[in-house]
Amino acid sequence: MSKILEAPRAGALAAPAHRPIRFGRFGALMERESVFSWMMLAPPLLFLLAFLGYPFIYGVYLSFFHKEVARVADYVGFGNFVKLYNDPIFWQAVRNTIIFTGVATIFKASGGLGMALVMNQSFRMKEISRAMLLLPFIVPTVLSTVAWQWILDPGMGLFNRLLMVSGLAERGPSWLGTPTMAMISIIMVNTWRGLPFFGISILAGLQTIPVDLHESATIDGAGTWGRFRYVTLPSLMPVILIVTVFSIVITFFDFQLVYVLTGGGPANSTHLMATYAYSLSMGAGQMGLGSAVALSMVPVLGLLLVALTFFVRKD
Amino acid sequence: MAQPSKSKATRRDFLKLAAAGAAGAAAGPFISRKAQAKPVSIAFARESAYVKNFDVHFQNVMAPAYEKATGIKIDYQIQAAGGSAVPQLVSMVENKNGADLAWVQQEWLYRDALVDVTDIAEEVGKQQGGWYDEIKRLSVDKGKWKSVPNGNIGQLMNYRRDWFDEVGAHKFPDTWEEFLEVGTKLKQKGHPFGMSMGHGFADNYSWLYPLLWSYGVTVMDKDGKKVALDSSETAKAVEYVKKLYKDACIDDCIGWLDPANNKAFLTGQISCTNNAYSIMVSAKRDLPEMGKVIDHGLNPKGPTGQRYHALVPVTHGVFSYSKDPQAAKDFLRWMMDPKQYRPWIASGDMYFAPYLHAFDKAPEWDIEPRVKPFQKVLETGKLTSWPAPANRQHGEVINRWIVIDMFTKAITGTPTKNAIAEAVAQIKTIYG
Repeated sequence: MSKILEAPRAGALAAPAHRPIRFGRFGALMERESVFSWMMLAPPLLFLLAFLGYPFIYGVYLSFFHKEVARVADYVGFGNFVKLYNDPIFWQAVRNTIIFTGVATIFKASGGLGMALVMNQSFRMKEISRAMLLLPFIVPTVLSTVAWQWILDPGMGLFNRLLMVSGLAERGPSWLGTPTMAMISIIMVNTWRGLPFFGISILAGLQTIPVDLHESATIDGAGTWGRFRYVTLPSLMPVILIVTVFSIVITFFDFQLVYVLTGGGPANSTHLMATYAYSLSMGAGQMGLGSAVALSMVPVLGLLLVALTFFVRKD
Repeated sequence: MAQPSKSKATRRDFLKLAAAGAAGAAAGPFISRKAQAKPVSIAFARESAYVKNFDVHFQNVMAPAYEKATGIKIDYQIQAAGGSAVPQLVSMVENKNGADLAWVQQEWLYRDALVDVTDIAEEVGKQQGGWYDEIKRLSVDKGKWKSVPNGNIGQLMNYRRDWFDEVGAHKFPDTWEEFLEVGTKLKQKGHPFGMSMGHGFADNYSWLYPLLWSYGVTVMDKDGKKVALDSSETAKAVEYVKKLYKDACIDDCIGWLDPANNKAFLTGQISCTNNAYSIMVSAKRDLPEMGKVIDHGLNPKGPTGQRYHALVPVTHGVFSYSKDPQAAKDFLRWMMDPKQYRPWIASGDMYFAPYLHAFDKAPEWDIEPRVKPFQKVLETGKLTSWPAPANRQHGEVINRWIVIDMFTKAITGTPTKNAIAEAVAQIKTIYG
């Protein structure tokens, strides 16, 4: 009896021992977490390398060459950068880019925070309102910018019509016709488009804050401002910082909006580094010089990102 | 009932496909031998024409005719208007892949990648009354034609005759001073001028460069070696534009891109601008009342007593990377043959005015009296590089809007002397 019972047991025990061998070495290899994770990472990495890495490296390469369209490239070392150093339009584009990015990001961050706080309240048609807020982010930039062209039209644009109808102004300002107003306008349009990104991300952050914290603070005597200052804001800081970093990068490289609205004018007052790089490379055919402008953006952004990452870690 | 018939049709389709496949396999060697002899198709890239019938005529009449005559299919690649054509051409040339021939906008960028088409250009010139000299400055490089001119997009003053009449200007001003005088009166009546001065590519150059020339100023000297802009006449021209902007223009126009003046004119915000005749076409189609009162005037004369216009050229070039440049050249030659070329140009209502003297008094100009002045543009028209060669350096000055921004900087507060000095310094850097 015991022999009869032992035989199948031995077989049953032996079977699992054989199974991994049947899967072969590949199966065993896949069981190792380090291998499996790299296998999963490889496709997106290869994709990034091909479509981001290659153009970036080619751009770095070009920036050290005097390369004109349809001509062989000549190595010039830092020649293109020296040329840019002495180019007043380049420095104007740098100044414009910093002002544009800085001001727009401040508006987007503070506006997005406000938007999230409002959206976090309970009110009728909350879901639809949240969905509507995403619209600026969803509509293709070129399309929404063309709509903005009409909105900002001095004679028949929505803004000036409203100003005139409401009696606030006899005739509205020239939104894209003076250097200062043109810069204000592109910042306004960028803020409009980027606000939902902040709003929705911060809203998601808000919803992760435990209610207990607010209750404890209330019991400790904190009012609305106190709860916001000592509970909400500190809890949201990591989200705000990450979203700000992303937003700075996206805003710094903004191109479509300015290209469609002003082309960098009037008198280069809205030329950003991205639009200047484009006009040099694609318009003037100076691929090397254009790449040098584009590459000049990297250290500034790199420093900014390192500083922010450091700050987040410390936090 | 529908089901079985659908199933039958599918089987029949399959049989047809199978038969075609078998025939194809049998003819395979023949086809491949033929393919070596001539291409199956030729790709021709052009920015979409404002007068739609021009593209329609090409697609419906010319391309099928060429295919019927030669067996070669023409793949007509229409590029969106508004500045995307040049980046596409740059990309084609850099990747050595794309259209076999194209409207080579800013052709100085790709001259090294274009094949010699001297034989075609000279033959066409001989056959059709000879070429206008100015266009040779663009199409001829080091003694060889690198492109065959197709036409000029004429730019003139577009104005509202009814509003001009109201201030007593019954004919278009003959000098820039008269132009300012009329503009001042019109602005006071709420009908300002809208003279584009932003980062566009046609409507700004088309009056600011002719204005400079009419003051006796050019950007470079004839050889393109010495900057000629640094002159007291430049200062006078800049001062004039400052006054014109302040007294006669709508505020926005210093930031305008090319579509903006069309929009402003068609919405009744401005009484005059420099543009192609596209505004009149749109008005006649969509705003018939306005369509009746739009007219075209020549650019006014300057202190030198001369009047100038800026050319906006359309030229066709064949890329050397093409698998069969000779086949593309044959097609270009066929396209420019009067049998094809004349009806094609006529289909576009002379929007593309030929640089050939055979068309000077062509009946095609009589389609509309308000189109006829655009022929005059060719007589006094110059390239923006004039009198210097249209080369890469000149292209860089254009694409960095250096001369345009000299005017707008002065308008927005930079002292005239400094605005000119900054422009001159930048041009010197570009020309080395």
